[in-house]
Amino acid sequence: MPANKTNGSTRRAVLKAGAVLAALPLAGKAFAQPARAPTKVLDFHTYADVAKAEAEGQLVFYCHENEAGTAAIMEGFGKDFPKIKTGYVRAQTGALYNKIVSERAAGRFDVDVIQLSDLAPALDFQKKGGYEIYASPEAGAYAPEHLSDPPGAFFWAGVSFAGIAYSKAKVKPEDAPKTWKDLLDPRWRNAMSCKISSSGIQFVQWYMFRKLYGPDYWKEFAKQRPRAFDSRVQLFDRLAKGDDKVTAIGEYAAYVLYKEKGADVAFVAPADGLPATPLLVGMVSKAPHAEAAKLFVDWAMSGRGQAFYQDNPNLIYGSLRKDAPPMRTGERLRDFKLLSPEDYADYMASRDQFSKEWAAMLGL
Amino acid sequence: MAERAAHIEVENLVVRYGGATAVDAVSFRVQPGEQLTLLGPSGCGKTTTLRAIAGLERPSAGLIRIGGAPVYSSADGIDVPAETRGLSMVFQSYAIWPHMTVFNNVAYGLRVRGAPKSEIDAKVRAALALVQMAGFEGRPASQLSGGQQQRVALARACVFSPQVLLFDEPLSNLDAKLRADMRIELRELQHRLGITSVYVTHDLEEALAMSDHIVVMRNGTIEQIGSPTEIYNLPRNAFVADFVGSANLIRGRLRDDLAAEGLTALETAGGHVVYGMAHGRQAGSESTFSVRTVHLRLSEAPPAAARNVWPVRVRRCVFQGDFTQAHVAWGDRELIVRGAAMAPLADGAEAFLSVDPACCVLLEA
Amino acid sequence: MGFARARPILRVPSTQTLVGGAVAVVAAALVLYPIYFLFQAALNVGDPEAKPPTDYGFDNFVNLGQYGEILLNTVTVSLAATVLALLFGFVTAWILSRTNVPGRHVLEQLMAVPYYVTPLLGAFAWSLLGAPESGFVNQVWRALGGEDHLIDIATPWGIAWVMALFEGSVAFVMIGAVMKSMDPALEEASQIIGAGRLRTMLRITLPLVAPGVLGAAIFVFAEMLGSFSAALVLGLPNRFYVVTTAMYQLVSQYPPRIPLAAAMGVSLFAVMFAMLFVYRRIVTRRSYVTITGKAFRPRVMDVGALRFVLLAVCVLYILLSVALPLLTLVYASVQKIAVAFPAAANWTLDNYRTATTMNAVRSALANSLILGVATATIGVVVMGLLAWIIYRARLPGSGVIEYIVMFPQAVPRLVFAFGMMWAWLIFPIPIYGTLWLLLIAYLTVFLPLGIRTIAGVMLQVDRTLEESAQMCGAPWAYRIRTVTMPLLGPGLIAAWLLLFIAGVRELGASILLMGPYAKVITPAIVESWFASSAELTAAMALIQTIVVAMAMTLFVALTRRAQVVRE
Repeated sequence: MPANKTNGSTRRAVLKAGAVLAALPLAGKAFAQPARAPTKVLDFHTYADVAKAEAEGQLVFYCHENEAGTAAIMEGFGKDFPKIKTGYVRAQTGALYNKIVSERAAGRFDVDVIQLSDLAPALDFQKKGGYEIYASPEAGAYAPEHLSDPPGAFFWAGVSFAGIAYSKAKVKPEDAPKTWKDLLDPRWRNAMSCKISSSGIQFVQWYMFRKLYGPDYWKEFAKQRPRAFDSRVQLFDRLAKGDDKVTAIGEYAAYVLYKEKGADVAFVAPADGLPATPLLVGMVSKAPHAEAAKLFVDWAMSGRGQAFYQDNPNLIYGSLRKDAPPMRTGERLRDFKLLSPEDYADYMASRDQFSKEWAAMLGL
Repeated sequence: MAERAAHIEVENLVVRYGGATAVDAVSFRVQPGEQLTLLGPSGCGKTTTLRAIAGLERPSAGLIRIGGAPVYSSADGIDVPAETRGLSMVFQSYAIWPHMTVFNNVAYGLRVRGAPKSEIDAKVRAALALVQMAGFEGRPASQLSGGQQQRVALARACVFSPQVLLFDEPLSNLDAKLRADMRIELRELQHRLGITSVYVTHDLEEALAMSDHIVVMRNGTIEQIGSPTEIYNLPRNAFVADFVGSANLIRGRLRDDLAAEGLTALETAGGHVVYGMAHGRQAGSESTFSVRTVHLRLSEAPPAAARNVWPVRVRRCVFQGDFTQAHVAWGDRELIVRGAAMAPLADGAEAFLSVDPACCVLLEA
Repeated sequence: MGFARARPILRVPSTQTLVGGAVAVVAAALVLYPIYFLFQAALNVGDPEAKPPTDYGFDNFVNLGQYGEILLNTVTVSLAATVLALLFGFVTAWILSRTNVPGRHVLEQLMAVPYYVTPLLGAFAWSLLGAPESGFVNQVWRALGGEDHLIDIATPWGIAWVMALFEGSVAFVMIGAVMKSMDPALEEASQIIGAGRLRTMLRITLPLVAPGVLGAAIFVFAEMLGSFSAALVLGLPNRFYVVTTAMYQLVSQYPPRIPLAAAMGVSLFAVMFAMLFVYRRIVTRRSYVTITGKAFRPRVMDVGALRFVLLAVCVLYILLSVALPLLTLVYASVQKIAVAFPAAANWTLDNYRTATTMNAVRSALANSLILGVATATIGVVVMGLLAWIIYRARLPGSGVIEYIVMFPQAVPRLVFAFGMMWAWLIFPIPIYGTLWLLLIAYLTVFLPLGIRTIAGVMLQVDRTLEESAQMCGAPWAYRIRTVTMPLLGPGLIAAWLLLFIAGVRELGASILLMGPYAKVITPAIVESWFASSAELTAAMALIQTIVVAMAMTLFVALTRRAQVVRE
C-alpha cells in the first residue's frame, strides 16, 4: 500500500540522514579511540568503516608534491578504492600550509588529509589542533620517532633527501663539486639552482648548514646568484638540458627519475651528509569525509601504500616502515648519511628568519 | 481604414537638450483628417517636435493632446510611452527590418496587438495592395530598393489603422523623379484613408504640394502658420518670404503722402517709389515689401502700367531650363527676376522692370 | 478617448528601468567589492593574520621604496614591449591597408590569430627556443659554429619581445581602424598640389593618424603593465620580477606578505588608471580625421616589386607569432628531453599519453570548457543588457554605469583576483574554491571586453529600427526579442566566441582562485611548467589548443547552420 511504501522510504531516509549526521565531525573526540577491533581490507588493517568511507565517496587531499606525484598518490589510492573519488590541491609546502591556515581561519573545512614536506608547519599545525588524533592499527610498524609526539596526529610516510647534482655535459668530472663547500666556488656563479623558500627540504638544508658551517655559508652562497624553482623535477630538467651546471639541492628521487629517462646527470653525496626531510601525512580535524580520511591514512601507512610511495617513479620516497623492502635502486635509507634537525623548537623558531633571508637572496 | 481620426493639440511645447533649447514654446493644432507639415531648415526643431508628439523624445514642458486626451503634460506629470499612444510613424530611413520578410514587417503591428491570424493575413494584403506592393509578401526585406522599402514602411504604418500618422522626411532619401511621384501618391493615400498626419520636411515643394496647413519653423520657434497659398502669397516676415519660394526684399521709408487706392508706398534708399499692399499689417516708418521673383516682369518696351515701372539694366541672364533668371541693376542694388517663357536678354541690355502692386506684400514689423 | 496606461512621469519605473537597474547594481557590486578589499589589505599595517585588519596606515606604500627595482622593471619592460608592439602593429597595418601587397584579405584574417595563440603559449615556446643553453635556436647556432648563444630570451628584452609579438595584433587592429577612418581625399589634395609620396606621408598622413596611434600606444602600454604570463614564465626563474609576478610570488610564499602585495597592486592600479584616463580623453575628443565617423577605403599605393618584400614581412610576423611557437611546442612535446637535434631514442608519445590520462588535465580541460561556455553565455546576456542600458536607453546615470563597468580595464587581472580572493574568502556563501567563484571573476574582469564588443555592434544597428517597433506598439521586452536580438545576432555570436576564448585562456584571474575541484586548464599548464617537465607541459598546451580550436569550429558550424535554417 502506498502508505507503507512512504513509511519505508522515510525510514530509510532517516537512517541515511542519521549516518550522514554521524559522519559529521560534531564530536571529534568520539572517533579518537574506537574500542573495536580493526577491520582487514585488502592486505592491511584499518579502524575506518570502509562501507561508510565508500558512502562518503570523496577524499580531498592537500599535498606538497608536484602535480605528477600528487596525481600518482591519488591514483594509487583510487585504484584500491574506486568508489572514493579523489580530489587534490598541490602547492609547495609553504604555500600549501598558508592555504590551509587561512581557510580554517575563515571557517572553511574542506580538506581531509594533508601531506607536508617540512616538520615545522606540521608541528605548528599539531599545536593548533589542526590534526585529528587517529591511532592507526598500522602504527606498530613504525619506530616512535617516525610518528608524531603524541602519536596519532601524523606519521612519516617517507623521507626525501638531497645531494649535489650536476650536468655531465657541462661539467668535467675533475671540476665537479665534491663537498658542500665546493658549491661556493665562483665558477658556479649564475649557473646554479636551488629551491624556493616554501620548500621543506630547502629549509632543512639552510638550517643544517648554519649549524655545520656557520651563517657565513649562506652569505657566500647568496653571492652565487642562484636561481630558485618550485620543484625538484624542474631542477633536473634544467640540468639535463644544460640550462644550469649544478644544483645545490638535487633530490635523490628526481635523480633516479631522470637517470631512467636517459639524462646526462650525476649525483654526489658529500661526506658531511645529505639534508633530509620527512614527508608527513596526517588526517585533518573536522574533515568532511572522516572515514575516507582514516582509510587513506591507514592505506598510506600500510605495506601496500608504502610500496607505492617507494616505487612510483614520480615519488621514490624512502620508506621508514620497519619491514620495508629496499628502494627502487636497491639501496636503503640507512645506506645514506642523512642530516635532520634535532632541536625542533629551535628549528621551528628560525622559520621566519629563513624566509626573510631566502627572499632577500632571491631579490624579493 | 481610419474611421476615428483624431485631432492633435500642441501647447507651449519646450524641448531642451542640456543647455540648448531645441523647441521653444511651440503651439499648433491639427484638425482631424488633415495633413499639417512642419517646414524649416535643418536644426529648426521640426523633427524634435515630431518625435515629441510620437513619444520618442521627452519634452521639458508643455502639453500634447491627441484626440482630446493628454499624452504629455508637464503640469499634471503625464507621459504616455510611445508604444501606447496609438500613433504610427514613417522614418526617414524607412527602418525596415532586414531580417524579416515584407509580410512580417507589415504584420508586426498587428501581431503586437494580438490580432488573429486570418485578420493579420487579410489586413496585410490589403495594406500592401494599397501601396502597390501586392505580391511582395514573401520577399526578404533586405532585397528591396529604396522606393519599395518606402512603400513597405508606409504599409506597415497604416495596417493597424492608427489615428495619427507621423512622417519624418520620408522622401528625402529618394531621387528627384521618384520623390515627385511619391508625393502625389502619399497625398492621395492620406486623403483616401482620412488619417490625421503630421509631416516633417525641409523641401518646400513637398510641403506646398501635400499640406493642408504648414508650420514654418526656425531655431525652435514658429515663424508662421497657414495654408500653402497663405504662406506663399502672404509671408509674415523676411525669413518666410525668402524660405518659401524666392523673393526680393525691398526696404523703404513709408510715404503716407503717396498712399492711394488702398496701396502703401515705400521709398527706397535708391530713390525708387514702390507701391504695394499692406494686407492689414501695420507699416512702421521703415518697412519692407516682399516681391516674388516670378512676379517681376522684364520687357524691352515700357509697359502700360502707371505705377511700379522702372528702367533697369540687365547684368546677367542665366538659363535654368523651366525658367530664366535675370539679375538686374535697379538703383543701387540688384533685383532677381524669374520668368518662364522669357526671351533671354543680353548682358548690359536696357529694359523695363514692372510689378503689379498686388504682388508687393508688406511684411510685419 | 482616454489612455488607460498613461504613466506619471518618473513615478513608476518601467520594466526597462527595473531590469536595467538590477543588472547595473549587480555589475557595480561585482566590480567594487573586490576593489574595496584590495585597498583594505593595502592599508593594513597591523597583524596580517587578523581579519578584519586592526590597524590602518600607509606604511606598506612607504616600504614599496625598497622594491623600486621591481617597479622600474615593470615600466621598462612595458615600455619596450609597447614600442615593439606598436612597431609590429603600425608596419603591418600600413602594409595591409595602404599598399597593394598580394593576398591582403587572407593576411588580414591571419593577423587575428596571434591573439588566440596567447602570450602564455608563446612564452613557453620562446623559452624552448631561446633559453641561452638549451634553446633550440642557440643549439642550432652552436652547431653552425657560433659561440655561446645567439639569443637569450630570459632577459627584459626577451620578455618584451614575447609580449609584443602577441599584443602586436591588438595594436594592428587599433591602428588599422585609425587608418581606415582617414579620408583619402586629404592625401589626394596634397598630391594634386605637387607634394611627393614621401612628403605627403610625412606632412599629411602621419600627423593625421598620430592622435589615433597615440591613443593605441597608451592603451597597449596600460595592457602591458598588467601583463603576467610572459614575465611569469621567462622572468620568475631568473629573479626578474615585475609587479604582477612579484605579487604572485608574495602571495604564494610562506608566510605570505599580503599587505605588501596589496600595496604593489594598488600602485599598479593607480598608474593604469591614470593611463586609461588619458587614453579616454584622447579618444573621446574626436580626432579631426573622424568627423563623419564613416569608414573609408584608404588609397592603396602601388609599390611595384617591393610588394613581395612587404608580403614577406607580414608572413614573417605571423610565422614568428603563430607558426614557430606552435611547431616548437609540437617538436618538444614528442621528445623525452627536448633538444634541437634529438637522437632516435628521444622520440616518444609518452607525454601525450600522460597528459591525456592525467585526471588533472582531463578535469581541468573539462572545467575550462564548461566555464568558458557558461561565461560566454551568461556574459553575452548580461553584457548585452548593460550595453543596451549604457548606449541606448536614455536612463539617468548611464554615464556612471559605463564608468563602473569599464573599471576592470584599469585593474590588472591578477590584482583583481587578489582582491576577490580576499573578498570571497569571508563571504557567507561558500563559493570560494569553486567554479562559481571563477565564473563570477571571469564575468567581472571581462565586462569591458564584452560590453565594448557588443556596443560596437549595437551602435551599428540604427536606433530607428527599434523606434519603429516602438511606434508599432511593441513594449520593451517584445522589441528586444523580435528586433534587437535578431539584428545583433552575428555580433552576439562574435562576442560569445571572444568571451569563450578569453575564459579558457585566462590565467591571471584564475591562478589565485582555483580550488581542488575547480581546476582550470591554463593555470594547470603553468603549474605543470614549474613543477614538471617542459615536454609534458608542451603536450598539455597543445592538447588545450586543439580542444579549444575544435570547440570553436563546432560552435561556428552550429551557428551558421542555425542562421541558414532561419532564412
